[in-house]
Amino acid sequence: MSFERPEDRQGERDSQLSAMFDGELSAAECELLARRLARDEALRAQWSRFALIGAALRAERGVILHERVAWRVQSAIAQEPSYGDGGAAEGSAVRVPAQSASSAAASASSGWMRFARPAFGAGIAAGVAAMSILWLRTQEGPETMLAAAPSSEHIVLTPEPVVTVAQTAVPADKHPTIGGTGEPDRYSTPAPSSQTSFAPPARLANYVVAHSEYSGPLARRMALLGIVGNEVQAEGTEGVSTADQPASDKQATGAPNAP
Amino acid sequence: MTAEESDLVLVKRVQRGDKSAFDLLVRKYQHKVVKLVLRYVRNPAEAEDIAQEAFIKAYRALPQFRGDSAFYTWMYRIAINTAKNQLASRDRSPIAYDLDLTDPEESHSVQTKLQDPDTPEGMALTEEIRGIVNSAIEGLPEELKTAIVLRELDGLSYEEIAAAMECPVGTVRSRIFRAREAIDKRLREVFEGGLGRTEEVI
Repeated sequence: MSFERPEDRQGERDSQLSAMFDGELSAAECELLARRLARDEALRAQWSRFALIGAALRAERGVILHERVAWRVQSAIAQEPSYGDGGAAEGSAVRVPAQSASSAAASASSGWMRFARPAFGAGIAAGVAAMSILWLRTQEGPETMLAAAPSSEHIVLTPEPVVTVAQTAVPADKHPTIGGTGEPDRYSTPAPSSQTSFAPPARLANYVVAHSEYSGPLARRMALLGIVGNEVQAEGTEGVSTADQPASDKQATGAPNAP
Repeated sequence: MTAEESDLVLVKRVQRGDKSAFDLLVRKYQHKVVKLVLRYVRNPAEAEDIAQEAFIKAYRALPQFRGDSAFYTWMYRIAINTAKNQLASRDRSPIAYDLDLTDPEESHSVQTKLQDPDTPEGMALTEEIRGIVNSAIEGLPEELKTAIVLRELDGLSYEEIAAAMECPVGTVRSRIFRAREAIDKRLREVFEGGLGRTEEVI
């Protein structure tokens, strides 16, 4: 096992800095190094010295090799708003070069449209979703909304009223292909009189369905019939929850053992 | 990746609110911008003032910068416009000299020294830095010296330098870095880290 020494890391970082200064570093590496530069004054000083070395080599006449311009600009910029927080230089009397000035209006409008378009789409989607929820409420009544979680597939356990149980824990590719085996795609159970008597069988059903791909059709049918039978018995003892009863779990796992 | 794209990474960071990224751009181009402005005004101090103003204008206009041109080119246009405006906005009275300045080179040099009160110290520092850099360059192995000179003086890309020196691009990158590192080390020894910091060193 080899360990990279800190000086090696610094050497690589400095090499990257040199390459970035020359525009020879990949964009991703540039971005990472720029983040480092934002908080590392020593690295920024080295960046400055790279610029200084170039200026000294070119022996630019009349150019004084100090950092006064950078220092003054930095002080002035400190008073300016940052653009990330939306404080763009509004109202600043800046004379932008012709190309930028001519494109400023187009840029502003296209920029607005760029953000407005997805927001508009999201608004439509949200409106449709809200209308669907309202429609479902009017159709089914408030108690059926108990488990109306955002799920693409549901198992319908009761015919009157229709109760939907979310099955978010089951991946899409593991959903049971009930219809494909000729089995009914709906199972009728007596209407629950309360939420507490409803929830445990639903969870058991979910458990069985989730593991049904590992069981044969007959075993699956037996397990589900067991649940339905249990639900019928539970009807007689209204309000008694089976959620905390280990026996129910044992019954639910009447199918072959889950992996 | 080109220098333009590298600068664009920094520009985008500024547009996202990272002011320090703009500081990097200023540090990188300040000497070049001052040199450009010196074509319009001969006083180094005045050129620095104009360069400073140009950078601040550039910062304020940066939200409109979309990268259609290189930041360097865009910055140059702002600097030139700022210098021209500066010249137009004031009454530039001719400066009388007692010296007979027939040689343009000498004329520029003397004029510079006469007009800038900071010049003696600033020029002394500059000369010292140049001396150290040149001395360090002379002490470099030939391949490092060639690589850094081709890069800084001739402005060649790493790929072009690799072709000229018949070596891989990675080797060019390493040679240029090692050359800079050696010069930088010498500068730090002399100035004890005073150079490169964003503070007035004179």
